[in-house]
Amino acid sequence: MITLTLREQPVVPLEAEVVTPDVTASLANDAIRALPVYLGKKQCRVDDFFTVEGQASDEIEIRGDAKQVKWIGRGMTRGKIKIDGNAGMHLGAYMKGGSIEVSGNVSDWLGGEMTDGFIRVGGNAGGQVGAAYRGSRSGMRNGTIIIGGTAGLEIGMRMRRGTIVVGGLVRDFAGLEMKGGTIVLLSGAELRTGAWMNRGTIVSLAPIPLLPSFLYAATYNPTFLRMYAKHLGTLGITIPYDAKDGGYRRYIGDSSVPGRGEILVWNPHAS
Amino acid sequence: MSGTTEPGVNMERRGVRIVDTFAEAFDMRAARVVITANSLAWAMTGARAMTGFATSVIGCKVEAGIEGELGPEDTPDGRPGVSVLLFAFDADGLSHRLLDRIGQTILTCPTTAAFDGLPQAGERVIVGGHLRHFGDKYQASKSLAGHRYWRIPVMDGEFLVEERFGVQKGIGGGNFLILARDQDAALGAAEAAVEAMRKVRGVILPFPGGMVRAGSKVGAKNYKKLSASTNDAYCPTLRGRSGVKSELPDNVNAVLEIVVDGLDRAAIENSMRAGIDAACRPGVVEITAGNYGGKLGKHHFRLHALMGTA
Amino acid sequence: MVKITGGKVYDPKNGVDGVVKDICIDDGRIAEKADGNARTIDATGMMIFPGGVDVHTHVAGGALNFARGLVPENQRAARKFIHTPERRTGIGGMTPTTFATGYLYAGMGWTTVNEAAVPILSAKHTHEELHDIPIVDKSTLLLMANNEFVLDLIEVGELERAKHVVGWMIWAAKTYGVKAVNPGGVAAWKWGKNASTLHEPIEGYKTVTAAKIIAGLAQIIDDLGLPHPLHLHQNNLGVPGNVTTTLETMKVLEGHRAHLAHLQFHAYGGHDWGSMKSEAAAIAEAFNNYPNLTCDAGAVLFGDAVTITADGPWQHLLYELTGRKWGNLDVENETGCGIVPYVYSDRHLVNAVQWAVGLELLLLIKDPWRVYLTTDHPNGGCFWRYPEILQLLMDVEFRKEQIKKLPAEARNRIVLADIDRQYTLSEVAIITSAGPARALGLSQKGHLGVGADADITIYPAQANDDGVLFSYPRYVLKRGEVVVEEGEVRAVSEGHEFVVRPNFDETIEEYIRPLFQKTYTMSFENYPTEMERLRHPDVTACK
Repeated sequence: MITLTLREQPVVPLEAEVVTPDVTASLANDAIRALPVYLGKKQCRVDDFFTVEGQASDEIEIRGDAKQVKWIGRGMTRGKIKIDGNAGMHLGAYMKGGSIEVSGNVSDWLGGEMTDGFIRVGGNAGGQVGAAYRGSRSGMRNGTIIIGGTAGLEIGMRMRRGTIVVGGLVRDFAGLEMKGGTIVLLSGAELRTGAWMNRGTIVSLAPIPLLPSFLYAATYNPTFLRMYAKHLGTLGITIPYDAKDGGYRRYIGDSSVPGRGEILVWNPHAS
Repeated sequence: MSGTTEPGVNMERRGVRIVDTFAEAFDMRAARVVITANSLAWAMTGARAMTGFATSVIGCKVEAGIEGELGPEDTPDGRPGVSVLLFAFDADGLSHRLLDRIGQTILTCPTTAAFDGLPQAGERVIVGGHLRHFGDKYQASKSLAGHRYWRIPVMDGEFLVEERFGVQKGIGGGNFLILARDQDAALGAAEAAVEAMRKVRGVILPFPGGMVRAGSKVGAKNYKKLSASTNDAYCPTLRGRSGVKSELPDNVNAVLEIVVDGLDRAAIENSMRAGIDAACRPGVVEITAGNYGGKLGKHHFRLHALMGTA
Repeated sequence: MVKITGGKVYDPKNGVDGVVKDICIDDGRIAEKADGNARTIDATGMMIFPGGVDVHTHVAGGALNFARGLVPENQRAARKFIHTPERRTGIGGMTPTTFATGYLYAGMGWTTVNEAAVPILSAKHTHEELHDIPIVDKSTLLLMANNEFVLDLIEVGELERAKHVVGWMIWAAKTYGVKAVNPGGVAAWKWGKNASTLHEPIEGYKTVTAAKIIAGLAQIIDDLGLPHPLHLHQNNLGVPGNVTTTLETMKVLEGHRAHLAHLQFHAYGGHDWGSMKSEAAAIAEAFNNYPNLTCDAGAVLFGDAVTITADGPWQHLLYELTGRKWGNLDVENETGCGIVPYVYSDRHLVNAVQWAVGLELLLLIKDPWRVYLTTDHPNGGCFWRYPEILQLLMDVEFRKEQIKKLPAEARNRIVLADIDRQYTLSEVAIITSAGPARALGLSQKGHLGVGADADITIYPAQANDDGVLFSYPRYVLKRGEVVVEEGEVRAVSEGHEFVVRPNFDETIEEYIRPLFQKTYTMSFENYPTEMERLRHPDVTACK
């Protein structure tokens, strides 16, 4: 286990893409301390900002308010990063495997274009969770992102596959141009959910305002959601599915594309 | 097919002689389908329809049967389910049979879903990936935990079916014959055997009620082109007929055969052991087994080895 | 002073074909001799070429910059140039940023670059970007063939006045030559139409036809005595069956000098995408008999590209074929621009044919002095992949192996497999340097005779690990200064920009000004480009 404790807040955001289990797995302590991080255009050392304990491990623990530290876990393929505190933008971007757990909040572009792996954030996330970077044809291609708190704009933009679950309220354009995969909104979202959606599933457990280009189809209890419920149950997340409790209102869209996606809104029986 | 009775150690169980011979079984390919539904009853309805007319690969192209019931904890969608096994000569044949049978009997059966029951199997054949076309492009897929599923829109909601099903090696044609004093005794013993064998996982009994009354031999003596014909050596009414070399002891007046297919040797051994033991009861004279001299099938189940340790 | 010793010199203009001799440099030019204080570069075992001259590329200006913005995903994937004490930052890829463009060209041994499409309206932007492209010398071509002032004059037959207007415009934009793109077609695109025939009136006009624009501009350029002839992107670029347009265009140009741009895109037979095939043989045969014409290949390489062209209507069609991104710009009264990111796939029948056609033209056109190596960067492929094309031209076995990889049906549509010709090193020097320098009328470029600019590329004699010979020069000298050594930029010089000052009647401005005030949205005083915007301008006055 390698422990990085943030000692010094960077005055501008610090770019620390080198902090991944792939890199640290084979390095001795002094080599880890000497790894390059970028403060604006200036190249610095990891130990200019972090105290480093441990070596040659693919498990990294980061302590402190790293909300100004960007790109942690970029492109990682294995191992584990545990952040006891906050983290900055692009956490786990381009990730291919392994896991990241954050107790606090994260900034925008969490898991941007990840292709696999597991990310769990206890607090809030910013916008563009699992999204495509500007101009890219696809966002996340697989993997699981669980956010306990709220999230920002354009989560899951152009995602192709994988699962995003958000516990708190989500802002506008969730699932923008979605191509596949599943977004679960435990507390619903603000405006324009599923805009330009092509394929994929957005599940909302709370009522949400819907674009006029989403057309109501039916109220039912889809079998596949039971599978998701079982799977999410193992991660500590409960979603309703049983006909005795209610049903899901299915809206097909976005018909302006025309898309074959769906938004499923939970409709409980009156108690 | 001949059951050789060798001189040597005699084995008896509850007065029933166990012949020192072996059952000769064959390499097959196997698949398992987990059928779930809103209730066990509906899952069973689908399973029965799916495994009908599947007694022998020769005439039915597949051998299929119900393996057992599954509780909500054991199914991918948390609903009651039934698991079904299918056996055929090769993966290609199996994939066609899966497609036909799931397509005609599970797709059509209310509230059901169909999942692969052999997730570890290396070879995977496309089933849902073909069935999805029934959705006429209105279907959708979902991927979860490395598996891909198709949601096909149907009148009662959606039919969920896994894209690919695993195919593994299996064994077909495990068997034993119950030689009894009369038809009632044979039937009672066979029913008891089947009840015991149905409790074993990893096997199915493809014939009606789990047993065969018309055991066969390869080819025919008196018709040139027949591929199989009645096993005259074990037909009680042909004892003494010229040209028939009967294998039946004098006091045997009815014979029933149990055929079992299984995913591996251990499953077949467990089921045969349980079945033979249950069949050793009053009215039964002898338990033997069918083989082809050991030259056709590579899986041999020696009855004495099986029952010796039981 | 510099002396390069022991290298094998390829200087086709001066008849030197692989001879080991010394090259002496003094004050930025090739000299007779160098004195004892000269720095010596030992080039034993290496090949000495005149620096490359790219006669048709798109590297600077409004269209290029719009393209950069349209494809941020390409920028993320592109090569990064981190700043060093010698070098500014930049991004490579298909639409390199300004500094990176200079480093990439120089790194490859190319020392002169002709920006092939400049609208007057945004010429300032082009010059500012060229200002920031280090090392290489530049020239620019002014878009004319859809200029409404010129077309209106052709409509009423006033070619003499048109000549002065064109002269004024070339000088106002501080450019070197004239570019014609899809004559009449981009003007028609403002009506949503195109100009697919040479002899029918352009949308909005009664007598102006594409043929008249082509012949008219060619005549004007010859009358103005510009060093470089009309540089023509013909009508019907990219369209199956456009061989007939190309052959007809060659007839229209009889009696005039002209340069046919990216000829590969204009050499297709068939009548639709399904039947599209190569007609390079027919084009080459006709071209061989027109000594008044030069051309550049516009060859295609498999991989990603970004198509950037003033040919607005064609780009709209390409967008409809790809269904992906598309950018379209209108340049008021002058021209247009279309941008579509594109991928040339070796599995795609049409792309496979395109790949073959560029090579067929280079191999079937007999005179290497009249056909030049380009990919119409970034339309057919990136300029920094030119060495891959040279490998295909020089190694017939390698070429045939690549042909075998094409889809079977494509091999029925091309003749490349039947061609055994292999380019010699001397021919390579011609198509990459001597020939284009001559076509551009830059007499001090493209050769290593005394008095020439000392733009020299020194290659190792062996191919690199990938079998590519020209991708990694050992040394590149620009005006006698070593700018690149072993693939690293050592010194960053500032290139010159070539401009012509045509001889036109200055009172034509009294004709232009009121017309401009009436039809343009900007003020006339802001229209011409001030000379101060150019870095090291090198002005040639025409007779």
